[in-house]
This record gives sequence, structure tokens and C-alpha cells, in this order.
Amino acid sequence: MTIEAINEQLLRAIGVGVALLDLDDLSFSFRNDTFNEWFGEPSSATRLNDIFPDLDTGTLRQEMNGSGRMSTEASFKLRRRTMTVALEFNLAQNAQDNIAVLVCQNITRIKELESMIDSYSMMVERNTHEIKREKEQVEKLLLNMMPRAAYEEYKTFGVVSPRLFEPVSVLALDFIEFDSQFTQHEAGVIVSELSDIYSAFDRIGAQFSCQRIRTHGDSYVAVSGVPDPNEDHAAAIANSGVRFLRYLERRNDSHPIKWKARIGVATGPVIGSVVGNQNYIYDVFGPTVAAALHHRDQAAKMTMATDQAFADLVAGRFDGAPSSDGSHVLIRDMAASA
Amino acid sequence: MEKTLFDKYGGFSTVSKVVLTLYDRLLEDDDVGPFFDDVDLPRLIDHQTKFVSSLMGGPASFTDDHIERAHRGMQIEDHQFDRLKEIVAEVLTDFDVEDPDIAAILGEFEARRALLIETPNDN
Repeated sequence: MTIEAINEQLLRAIGVGVALLDLDDLSFSFRNDTFNEWFGEPSSATRLNDIFPDLDTGTLRQEMNGSGRMSTEASFKLRRRTMTVALEFNLAQNAQDNIAVLVCQNITRIKELESMIDSYSMMVERNTHEIKREKEQVEKLLLNMMPRAAYEEYKTFGVVSPRLFEPVSVLALDFIEFDSQFTQHEAGVIVSELSDIYSAFDRIGAQFSCQRIRTHGDSYVAVSGVPDPNEDHAAAIANSGVRFLRYLERRNDSHPIKWKARIGVATGPVIGSVVGNQNYIYDVFGPTVAAALHHRDQAAKMTMATDQAFADLVAGRFDGAPSSDGSHVLIRDMAASA
Repeated sequence: MEKTLFDKYGGFSTVSKVVLTLYDRLLEDDDVGPFFDDVDLPRLIDHQTKFVSSLMGGPASFTDDHIERAHRGMQIEDHQFDRLKEIVAEVLTDFDVEDPDIAAILGEFEARRALLIETPNDN
């Protein structure tokens, strides 16, 4: 077997499609087995555009006359499979005739992999986005249940250690005749009213650096000085309490359901911590909380009751008048008492 | 949390090979292959990637409604569904997925047969 014959046999057998293209009429003078496998058995009438209808032959001729080479890609169907080949045209060197060597590399798998990676990364991106959104929702929920500092501690260490905060002020509020409101109105209406009122309290409290700690039915407890210290904690709580009552008065003027609240406030130390390891609740404890609750029970409707210690802290800014029986002090803003 | 089959069998590295093998076999198969005759490559690969990922508990999840809509009007018959199940089982076996896991995957698959096969009254 001659070297030429061996060369031709090799050329026929390789997994790359090879053809010789007559640039004058764009017919094929040679096609190897792989090329025929992909594009069908040769016929003398077959032209380049019959196989690659999207190929711009004008550009091809221009490139052959210029640089003598051109690269492009083409897709075709082989049975059901979409095949993609990288085409490389090279003007034959030292040839008498105007001939180009066409080499076709099968890049189908690469295209399939590219498509798969695209598809997969879009899935992962969407999932990542969803996870991020869920994480933000969880964070938002947890921040509703505990102060940010406690949340950060929980996130880092998995627990929140009980901490003493001192001095702080605590406000406890509830509604007079709350049970009868329930019997007079639908439960859904009452819940919606409470949600509206508590949201307003939260907004007012936030203006004075007070944080709602918990609500339980008609009981609303807020604190100032937890977890961030607040030198003016008593005034913050007194300001919030006065405005809570003022808000309710104005609201009652325009709403069919009239809410009458009573407020107790106290100052002193509290312990703040997350309670429970399954159902997390951030809460504050201690005699100061108990005192606020006690003063709330002493308060008449639409008043704020406390003891002398708290009244002394806000003296000059709020009016503190002893109750008739001397058991507690009533806090009002100066303008109202004038 | 229980490990998904997706994680158990090597994540995307394995799933990518399963997808391409499944893709090859589906196209070669004369029962199910014709369904993909006129589907372009990116869409088909996208379909297979999501299909395999969701079967193995990877980052793809489809509601039954989504699956039903995607196959509406394709006139898939029971024997073609059965053939697809066989091909999936063969490919998973080739990738050394354990028998109980293959059974679980095929069980999930079987549970959605009615979504893919339209009864004459559906239209």
C-alpha cells in the first residue's frame, strides 16, 4: 500500500468530517466517511449550500480570496439529534485548482453541555434567590420576636444569654371591659382593631426608643433601655404612655368601637432573654415588670399610674399627682394638667 | 435533614452525566424519541436537566399543575410512559443508583402518570 493510499484511508476513518470543496462551483471533490455519515452519501450534484443552507457563500469566497481561511458553526439534524459542527475552511496550498479543505469538528456534546449548564445555573440562581427571600422573611419574623442585638447573638451562638438591664422603664397597658367588647363584636373585628391599635403603639413607641416586648390579648408591654441603654428611659416611657392615651382618645372620636385603656409604668432593673428552645420568645422579667403590671391594675380608665420613684425621674417634664388614697401617682403631661 | 438522592449520588456532577445519557437514549428510542423530533436542543436539554434534578430531589421543583401543562396535547400513551420508565430505570442502574432508590424515583414518576396521559374526556 502506498503512502498516499494509507493517508487516504486514515483521512476517511478519522472522527472528523473532511471534504475538499471546489470554490468555483462549490461542489465536493472528496468527502470522508464521517462527513458522509453526517451529511449523507455524496452526489455530484450536491453543493455546499445544500448541506449548509445558512452559510453565506459570498462571505466564504471573500475570505478565501483574502486570508484564505474561515471558521464558522453549523447545526443540522441527524435523526432526532441536533448536531453542531465547527467548520473550518482553508484554501489548499500549492494547488492548481481553486480548492478549499473543509474540516468539520463535532461540537454537539459541548453545545449540549453548555445548554445543560445554562439550565442548571438558572435553576440554582432561582433557588438561591428563593432561599435569600425566605431567609429575609425568617429574619424579619425573628426581629419581630426579639431585639436585633439578641437576634445577632442568637445567630452567632445559637442561644441568647439572660442579661441584666439596668436601669430601664417598663410600660404595661390593658383595656377596660375588654371581655365585654368580645361579646358585643365579632372576634375578627376585635382582632383587627387590636392589630391597628398595637401597630400605632409600636410606631409611637419607636419614636421614643421604646420597644414592644409582648402582647397577650389586651395586654401590651413595652420597655425602654432594652437592649440598648437609654439614659432617658423614664421620659421615653412616659412620653409613649401619654401619646398612647391621646391616640386612643382621638381614635375613639371617629371609630364606632371605643377603647378605654389603663397604663402602669415603673422603673428599675429587668432580665432580658429568649425563653424556650423550640418556641422562641424574647421576654423581660423581674420586679420592675411586676410593678408596672401592679400599677396598671391601680390605674383608672385612660390614666397612667406609677410610683414616686418613677415620678421623680420625670419630674419637671410630666405632672405627677398622688392618687386620692395615696397608693400610687398619676402621670400626665404638663399641658394636660395646666 | 434527610439527604436527597441528588446529594447522595454526587450532586450536579452525577446528574449531568445522567442527563446526557438519558438524553442519548431517549432520542435513540423509537417509542419515546418521536416526541422530541421538533423540540430544539436548549429546550430539550433544559427539560431533561429539570426532569432528572427534580426526580432526584435537586434544585428543581415542579407543581403537578406545571407538569400537566407542559405535557398537554402531546397524546402520550401508557406504553410510551412505561417505556420512559424503563429507560429511566436502565440509566439509573448504569449509574449505580441503588435499587430501593430507583424504586422510590419510579414511584414518584408513576404517581404522575395521570398528569401526562390525557384521557379522551380531558379535551
